[in-house]
Amino acid sequence: MKKVLEGSQAVAEAVRLAKVQVISAYPITPQTHIVEILSDYVTTGRMNAKYLRVESEHSCMAALIGAQSAGVRTFTATCSQGLALMHELLHWASGARLPIVMGEVNRALAPGWNIWSDQTDSLAQRDTGWIQLYCEDSQEVLDTTIMAYRLAEKVNLPAMVVLDAFFLSHTYEPVDIPDQEEVDRFLPPYNPAFILDPRNPYSLSPLVTPNAYLEMRHDIAAAMEDALAVFDEVEGDFARIMGRRYGVVEEINCQDADIIFVTSGTVTSTARLALEELRSQGEKVGALKIKLFRPFPVEAVRRALVRAGKVVVVDRNFSFGASGIFAQEVRAALCNAPGHPPVFGYIAGLGGRDITAQLLSDIYFEVKRSERPGRESVWVGLQEVNRAT
Amino acid sequence: METLVPLQNILYMPRTSMTTEGNKTGSWRFLRPRYEEKTSPCSTACPAGEDIARIEMLITQGAFKEAWETILMENPLPGVCGRVCYHPCEGRCNRREFDAAVAIHTMERFLADAAARNDTKPALPRQPSAGRRIAIIGSGPAGLSAAWFLNILGYETEIFEAMSAPGGMLRWGIPAYRLPEAVLNQELARIESQGIRIRTGEAVSDTRFEELRKTYDAVFLGCGYWRDRPLNIPGEASPGVEDGLSFLREIRGGVNREAPGVSAVIGGGNTAIDVARSIIRKGGKAIIVYRRRQEDMPAFAEEVQSALEEGVELRELLAPVRIDATGADLILTLQPMTIAGQDRDGRGKIVPADTAPETMTVQRIFTATGAEAAAPWHQPPATEDQGGTHHLSHCVLIQDDRGIPVVFGGDLTTKDKNVTQAIASGKQAALALDILFRHGAGAVRERLASCLVGGGPSLSLEIYLGGPRKGRNAHIVAYEEINADYFQYEPRVVQPRLLIEERLSSFDEIELKISAHTAMREAGRCFNCGICNGCDNCYLFCPDVSILRTRDMTDRHINYDYCKGCGLCVAECPRNAMTLDEEGTL
Repeated sequence: MKKVLEGSQAVAEAVRLAKVQVISAYPITPQTHIVEILSDYVTTGRMNAKYLRVESEHSCMAALIGAQSAGVRTFTATCSQGLALMHELLHWASGARLPIVMGEVNRALAPGWNIWSDQTDSLAQRDTGWIQLYCEDSQEVLDTTIMAYRLAEKVNLPAMVVLDAFFLSHTYEPVDIPDQEEVDRFLPPYNPAFILDPRNPYSLSPLVTPNAYLEMRHDIAAAMEDALAVFDEVEGDFARIMGRRYGVVEEINCQDADIIFVTSGTVTSTARLALEELRSQGEKVGALKIKLFRPFPVEAVRRALVRAGKVVVVDRNFSFGASGIFAQEVRAALCNAPGHPPVFGYIAGLGGRDITAQLLSDIYFEVKRSERPGRESVWVGLQEVNRAT
Repeated sequence: METLVPLQNILYMPRTSMTTEGNKTGSWRFLRPRYEEKTSPCSTACPAGEDIARIEMLITQGAFKEAWETILMENPLPGVCGRVCYHPCEGRCNRREFDAAVAIHTMERFLADAAARNDTKPALPRQPSAGRRIAIIGSGPAGLSAAWFLNILGYETEIFEAMSAPGGMLRWGIPAYRLPEAVLNQELARIESQGIRIRTGEAVSDTRFEELRKTYDAVFLGCGYWRDRPLNIPGEASPGVEDGLSFLREIRGGVNREAPGVSAVIGGGNTAIDVARSIIRKGGKAIIVYRRRQEDMPAFAEEVQSALEEGVELRELLAPVRIDATGADLILTLQPMTIAGQDRDGRGKIVPADTAPETMTVQRIFTATGAEAAAPWHQPPATEDQGGTHHLSHCVLIQDDRGIPVVFGGDLTTKDKNVTQAIASGKQAALALDILFRHGAGAVRERLASCLVGGGPSLSLEIYLGGPRKGRNAHIVAYEEINADYFQYEPRVVQPRLLIEERLSSFDEIELKISAHTAMREAGRCFNCGICNGCDNCYLFCPDVSILRTRDMTDRHINYDYCKGCGLCVAECPRNAMTLDEEGTL
């Protein structure tokens, strides 16, 4: 059934359809709509779930770790400062191999206090062992959230579904909501690999010596590798029922492109618009949308980009002292491919500033003019400011 | 759906069935929390030392009988005190600093009303018979209190009452609109049902008193102040001048008294207020003439306020100097007074003003300037010079070579003459006699001191008997020690009252009953300062699962094997029922 939904509502609908049993969350803009809707569903009985109110995101994740260990499907949503506060327990969730799913709304980190879109919050958690899936529109948000449960539960790793603040979380779009029966066919009830059971008591995650820790970490690495392949399989099943699939990456006009943009999140939609305009002018330009960031689809990225003359990565995030984070990953994916194209890194739209089709077009022509990248990162749209003296 | 992708990962999860109990994290502790109940400020302000924090807790739980019995352990007259006590407890209520004091007196009255309605019989722990008989002279609040506590302590008691019905000042001195007769009768019936004998119509003269000293093991003298203090001004013997207490007594006795015209009531105590308000109800006009100011009046402020509401006029700073009778009228000559500095008791010191005396023409004058002992032998020895005389805070105990011990109590010995102080006096007398019989007169002061509530001056029978209250720290919980984060602003209950119009035409009780629901809500406002009400914050907040509860959840204790001494339980206890000590200081 098609409905006009906010991105936040799309997440909540997916969580309802996934028959999540325990939800815990702490409100934070711009994520709050998601858990508001869910608390309403729980209170009114539209969902048969427990909703745990907590005093912080740290406790929220701790509560979900407990609940998931007891063998139930769980969900939370957060962003920015909230996600940062969860950091310690993000490691715990993956180390304990708990397939918790989180809705992560990309919001800038303070200071300056800023509630608008910026990817640094989720990308700063890239080493925590969580699967990360970035979404372009609300339909993808809904579909990805449902798929995230299948994927996470298959490989026993937690997953975050990432959506841009406001551009997605608060924007209304038509979304096709699957029937419960369809979702049930796709997503079987959670069958945990292990549970805490008071009838057969044991404690999980006790002290582990150097003798075993390396192997545990290697298992997580292997599970992440599996996730890449399992994702294709999950999407295949999903597509058979729902008729939609996204791919770990999506190549847009990449076949014959001299210059390929690499984008993620809603910037991809803007890039599609810019491409239409540039292609109509005869420019050979393409775009590579990266959906799956962890595990990073190295092969798919390399395959898509290696033929291009130049690659330009647009990052709405930054790793201070290094560069845009997607640019780092793309460079790393390409560096061992013989004759790989140069990678131009552009930083734009931090803290919710608009990335327009015109801006992308300007970047395109600048890259076209340049033989090689001058710097690791070019910050676009910088304005003169009055500095404190 | 079977996976097509061959998974490399077979979960390698560390887990152990070995207990972690061997890791006794309690050894890390350098601060030690413990459950330690403390003393609520209200209970120390209550002359009867009632365990108010616990009473309110029991009301919140709907345990009305237990709450009522908790009062009866310290005060035999909750139905009376819930109505006429000046509730100093509320003046010390910590909740005042938050929003408004808990309506403690309303709760007390509610419990008494509920017990009366259901004809509840109290189950109180009576001590084994002491094999001694005590004679009590006077069935006012002091005598009833002494008899009540002596009865619980295992003594046989007999009360001698000169009047035709028991109750003393409660029956004859307090108007029915404050204390209905039925309420008093219910209290008396319960007291008598405990085995206390009240012999009415038996006045005790000085010779009879000497006889009692020969046939009983002790005598308590609580016959009160019944003789009106004279004004000592010319003309006070004129017809139409009468004493206020007699007027009140006649009304309570059913005499059809009228009070036509204008009456002047001279005095500033509760009796003056009661007389003035009774005159209004009898269709007259009442003017209270007081030589000091309203704020100096010994009458309870709420009573003064009610009197003014009902149309009583108050003339301040006027001292009567003479009364002249002319025909049907009385001319009262009044000297205006003025304030010059302060008295020793903090009230304004009054001196005659420079202005000339004024006159007031009235039809009737009532004196209510205080009462005194009716006979010289009612007065205890003024000093302790004579051997065997002990001046205690609320009574005087005499154990001399003339034989059995005698205790003077009630109005004869209390500084403030009111019902609750009289009850405190009777309780002190009972405890003092029990100590005297068991341990000798020399032990009285020391043993009384060991059962003070929060350091005194109120005494607790429960502490005396070694009940759970004895385990409490005498430390009085201050507002700063309450974790007010756990409380929300809630308006204090407003007790329904008769309309002014209804009040002016009858002696019906002014304050009406409240429902159990309202009482539970009001009691829920109580912080329960210093006592555990089982809120389980300690249990919920303990990060080490070191708060252990009994299976029925009534008791909690700390598992020191694992308590790391973080102190969260103590910080989150809303009511300071826990204490954190440095390890090794206890």
